[in-house]
Amino acid sequence: MRIFHCILVAVLWVGGGASAQNKALLYDFTEVPQALMLNPGMQTGYQWYAGLPVLSGISLAAGTSGITVNDLFADDGLDFTTKVRDRAIYGMSVRDEVSSTYQVALFSGGFRGKNRREDFYSFGAYHEGDLINYWPKDLAILGYEGNANQLGRRFNLGHLKLRGEFLNVFHFGVNRKMGDKLHLGARAKIYSGILDFNSTGNRGYFVTTTGQNNLIANTLVADMAVRSSGFEAIREVLDDDTVDDGSGLRKLFTRRGFFGGDLGLGADLGFSYQLNEQTLVTGSILDLGFIYHSTDVRNFRLEGSATTEGVEVILPDALADPDADFWQDLVDEIEALVPFEEDSRSYITFRPTRLYASLRYNFGEQEQDLEDCNCLYTVSGGQWRHQYANSVGGQLYMVNRPRGPQVSLTAFYLHRFGNIVAFKGTYTVDKFSFSNIGLGMSLQAGPVNFYLMADNLLAYSNVADAHYASFQFGLNILSWGGYQD
Amino acid sequence: MKNNPVFLLAILLSMATLWSCSDKQDFDQFDDLQLTPTAEASLVYVASTEDFINQSAPGVYYTEDFNFDAFAEAFVSERVLDGLVTYEVENTTSKELEITVEFLDEAGNVLDTETFLIDPAPTGVVRREIAYGGASGRSIEILRNTSGIRVSGRNLGDATSVSNLPDPKIILRSSAQIRIELV
Repeated sequence: MRIFHCILVAVLWVGGGASAQNKALLYDFTEVPQALMLNPGMQTGYQWYAGLPVLSGISLAAGTSGITVNDLFADDGLDFTTKVRDRAIYGMSVRDEVSSTYQVALFSGGFRGKNRREDFYSFGAYHEGDLINYWPKDLAILGYEGNANQLGRRFNLGHLKLRGEFLNVFHFGVNRKMGDKLHLGARAKIYSGILDFNSTGNRGYFVTTTGQNNLIANTLVADMAVRSSGFEAIREVLDDDTVDDGSGLRKLFTRRGFFGGDLGLGADLGFSYQLNEQTLVTGSILDLGFIYHSTDVRNFRLEGSATTEGVEVILPDALADPDADFWQDLVDEIEALVPFEEDSRSYITFRPTRLYASLRYNFGEQEQDLEDCNCLYTVSGGQWRHQYANSVGGQLYMVNRPRGPQVSLTAFYLHRFGNIVAFKGTYTVDKFSFSNIGLGMSLQAGPVNFYLMADNLLAYSNVADAHYASFQFGLNILSWGGYQD
Repeated sequence: MKNNPVFLLAILLSMATLWSCSDKQDFDQFDDLQLTPTAEASLVYVASTEDFINQSAPGVYYTEDFNFDAFAEAFVSERVLDGLVTYEVENTTSKELEITVEFLDEAGNVLDTETFLIDPAPTGVVRREIAYGGASGRSIEILRNTSGIRVSGRNLGDATSVSNLPDPKIILRSSAQIRIELV
């Protein structure tokens, strides 16, 4: 019970934000090289950059669309079971989700081509974890109420929809300036899957009706499956008394994360187009790819239909077999009609493809104030990296999810203080929140670039009541000015 | 730069982040959670034609011990809080009959007995509900230890008469609702 308790709290705290986090603050924040990961066709003015291993890009999203930690665990004197019933069991819909995502850059870097100065190459690897679980409303009601006194009510087994994956991604991208107005970019990715589980295509129902012969009939129509890879090896490590669990799991995850597990391929594409001197339109599509799960696969399937009205004895026919075990016959019959099967067949999963688009208007030319501070010049060239101090615009984010595309809209304002500091403020509307205000900062101190971004700041007044929160930060060594836009 | 408002803003952001607060939470409330669904299913259905009853002399014409492990499953027996067993007996034969349902433990010992005396047709359907557990029910231990059901039929009339109703039978229907403590 304590474990269940901890899991529930952890899921509600970390849950949310969607697998594949919407990084509205980072998108098209050209001061930060990690923004290239969101649009390989972003305008780039870097000579080169090197991310600090593990610290160049860390991001985490948290929240839920239907319920918050505070809704359940606030010390408000209300009966806990009543809160669970009203706010979770019946308060959430099947479109509500509990999910989480994180990303840690293992290493990253980029450099401008020597012979083709209009090309900027980027590369690296990152570790990513995504979990999403839509609220299985009917199953939750069945678990809370049971099927008694629910004649005719169909409990939809399709409400069970969850997915989780842990993987490493290795990537190499090219960003090219095509003339004065257009930047194009593409990135190739190799996915090395560590763990995966999914159960997303379930169908069927469980219903209790008045029986034809007996008082009650229970009917199960099921087409359900859970597919997984990587878990059996974990179990073997944990069961092996000769191996320390911690080091055994580290070795296992390292092996599977560096091409010893499931493999896949993917690509990112993006562009930036200068509509006029001050207006820019951008777009990108990320993680067009798949993973082929062929190692350590274990799948479970429940498929068929059966109706039971209990043990049935009709005399004198039932006397034909004096040794008949009516109960076991009933169990065997149901198991034959709705078999529970296991297999280890390989399967393919498609990555949660994301799409970004933005329209940006730049204004307010930066003025040089030599008396105030010389540091406003770039190291190379003595020019502004960005001609305009302000940018305002809108962004669109879409992600492909098990229950269809999910959309976020963001309005943003970006202000630069010379070449050193830039702030970006965002207001985002999505299924998690209508009051999501975020703030991001990029600081360039000599060759060191540091960025910090946080979403849904208003929720910080009561973190436990937040439906959504995310943050990103990173540290890079960065040289500007190799190629001016 | 020290006087730059940017730094002031950065400091304010840092303070807001570090000093963000939260209403008081009590995670120990989870221990108070009660998930107690009630499951409902049929138990046994026994139907006997009047022809079959007439093939035996008056007295016990049928007795059968059914293996019935639904209550004995560890998940159920360890978590069941209370239960309600419902019986319906319908007699369209020409005889007075006695139907007995006994709950048996693993060793075949009788844990509980329910007897129905049914008048000859025409008669209505006899319905009876037996509660287990709670303040007024029979001991919940009966359900917890039941792993078999014995159904017996006894003819209290003659072995020759035939009802004038179509397809005369004695039918026992039964179902159970059990409340289980999940958490």
